[in-house]
Formats: sequence, structure tokens, C-alpha cells
Amino acid sequence: MYKLQKNSSNEINSVIRLSDNATIPFDPANTDYQEYLKWLEAGNTPEAAS
Amino acid sequence: MAYGLINADQIGTSVANTSLGAGDASLMKNRIINGAMTISQYNGTSSVTPSTTNTYPIDRWQYNASQSSKFAIQQNGGAVTPPVGFINYLGCTSQSAYSVGASESFVLQQSIEGLNVYDLGWGSANAKTVTLSFWVYSSLTGTFGGALANNGNTRCYPFSYSIPVANTWTQISITIAGDTTGTWTTDNSAGIKLRFSLGAGATVSGTAGSWSGTNYYSATGAVSVVGTNGATFYITGVQLEVGSSATGYEYRQYGQEWALCQRYYQGTSNVHTSSSAYPFTTRYPVTTRATPTITTTLGGGGGTPGIYDISTSGFRYQNDTSQRDFTWTASAEL
Repeated sequence: MYKLQKNSSNEINSVIRLSDNATIPFDPANTDYQEYLKWLEAGNTPEAAS
Repeated sequence: MAYGLINADQIGTSVANTSLGAGDASLMKNRIINGAMTISQYNGTSSVTPSTTNTYPIDRWQYNASQSSKFAIQQNGGAVTPPVGFINYLGCTSQSAYSVGASESFVLQQSIEGLNVYDLGWGSANAKTVTLSFWVYSSLTGTFGGALANNGNTRCYPFSYSIPVANTWTQISITIAGDTTGTWTTDNSAGIKLRFSLGAGATVSGTAGSWSGTNYYSATGAVSVVGTNGATFYITGVQLEVGSSATGYEYRQYGQEWALCQRYYQGTSNVHTSSSAYPFTTRYPVTTRATPTITTTLGGGGGTPGIYDISTSGFRYQNDTSQRDFTWTASAEL
């Protein structure tokens, strides 16, 4: 499960992995972000940013 | 003013330019990072039994397995004397007698960044030959296996090697002709994946000694370490170098090896937020391979610091009005 996160400019450019509270940036070279994209492709939806 | 005579070789005459960076070159000839298993940021000297199938028991070495909790892995696990010239090794001990399924695999893998192997010219007619060398020790004997693979796992080279005597360090050398076809990335993604198999099924094991378009983790018929409860597999001194023969292991300064590892993973001791909700910026000691994932572990205080504006050089963190101690790790593993 993931939750979207806003940056200091109020833009969403990272996501929090709720299992370990890791902050994953939207970088195509980041392997955790690649896993997140696969999770999205599987039809899942992240929680909205607070 | 008179100057002394400079007697220099001209590249291309007495020194063939094709031999530069190969053979006995002593600077960065080893494309493997932490081949001597000295850097252990993840777990120190503690043993881990990975419950997930994709973890790093030691820097740069990924344990990738089809089943959880099949190996205990530890720097110097097993407490045997390392081979001469080394003080560390990576020790793996099987936790059960598991029969590997046809498509299952248990491997130690290092993904070498494409930027560190682009000169090999793999995927072209100019592909260079490389030699893999390492020290290995096992309670089992026989023919063991592994493989090289490209980033997309569409080009693989299974290899095999023999451990003739149990519980004795054996030095292995394997020469591999570079792949002249396929796609080999030369950017900050994985360029070459080096795999040492601890067990692999029939459909993910291939004929040793030739390139294939199938994703393999080992050589056909190789020993399955995971198949014997208590079986051991220890390894160190891993080197992958250009050329058709193995040369001496390239020893790097400890701080240099650590910095090389920090491009992919790094952590800190305690940092803290203030009670004024003021944002802080932290900088990594080494620029990371990609924008890293930041994981925090909370210490004393209140609130949960938010992590923002992550880059390859640092990030910002901010809490509410509480003070909070925490540690962080930055992971940009391949």
C-alpha cells in the first residue's frame, strides 16, 4: 500500500510506502518507484495525499 | 634554462592502446564493488535470514530468492578463517533441505552499473573478453553454477565451476568472451548482473559456457546448496576484469570502497528536528546513483518527520512542533 505525498511546493512527486514508511521519489531509475509503477499497473490505487 | 630528458612511451607504439585498462592495470580493474565483502552497512556482522525475496545482506550483494527464510547470511558467517589476503567473506548457511521447483532460484547477485562497464562494448562486434575470479568454500563438493545477465535478462551466460574438496577455500577463474549481440545498457541502470547460484530449477538453468537469449540463474546440473540442511557457501575476493586471465585481486582503500558502496546505499546516525517546525536540509556524503528511497527510523520525541524534495544530493525534512530524533537510510540500489 502506498500514499501520495506533496513536496514543499505542494506538488506530488513522491509516494510513501506504508509498510515501512519509506519515501519513494518519482525517479524512473529508482527501483522502488519501478515496483510502485507495477503495483499501479496491477490496478491498485494509492491513498490521497494529506 | 635546461630541462631534463623525458623518456615516455607513446601510446600505440610500445604500449598498445588496447591493453590500457586491462590485464595488470591497478586502477579500477575490478568492476565488482565490495568484492572482498568488507563493507557491511546493512547488517554489520549480524546474521540475517531474509524473509523477503530481494534483500541486501551486505553492501552491493543482493540475495534474490523464490522462497523466504531459506538461508542465514552474514559477514564472516560460519567463523572460518578467510583465504590468505582477506579478512572478510560472505557466509550463507542453508536453513532447511528444500527441493527447488523448476522455475525457482536462490542467488547472490551483484548488478554492475552500466556506467562502470560501458567500455566493454558488449552488444557490439568489439565486445571485450572478461575474466571472473573469486574464492569459494562449501561443505558440499561438485559442480556449482552461476550466470551473467543483461539488464533485461534477455542475454545470459551460465557458468560452472568445481569445488573438489569440502570445507576448503578454492580459487576459481572463469574467462568469458564478451557478448556481441543483445542490448547491454551503458547508463545508470544495471549493465551486467553477476549471479552465484545457491540452487536453481531446471527451467532457469542453462548450458554452461555459451550465451543464450533465455534468463538463467545457473548452469544445468549444478549443486543445490539450498537442498541440504546446514550446507554452507562462503565467498570472497570476487573480481570481474577485462582480459583473458585473472590477475591479483585489486585492493582498494577502505574509505574508497565504502564511498563506492554509498552511491547505492547509505545511512546516518541520529539526526533531529527542532520544536519550531523549521525545515532542515541534509546532504549525503556521496552523490547517489538515482534519486534514492529514504527510510526513517524514529527515536525519542514526538511527531513524524516528513521527507521532502529528495534528490541525488540530499533531502529536506520537517516535523510539526515536536522535537524528534531519527535515523535515515538512502537506497539507490540497482
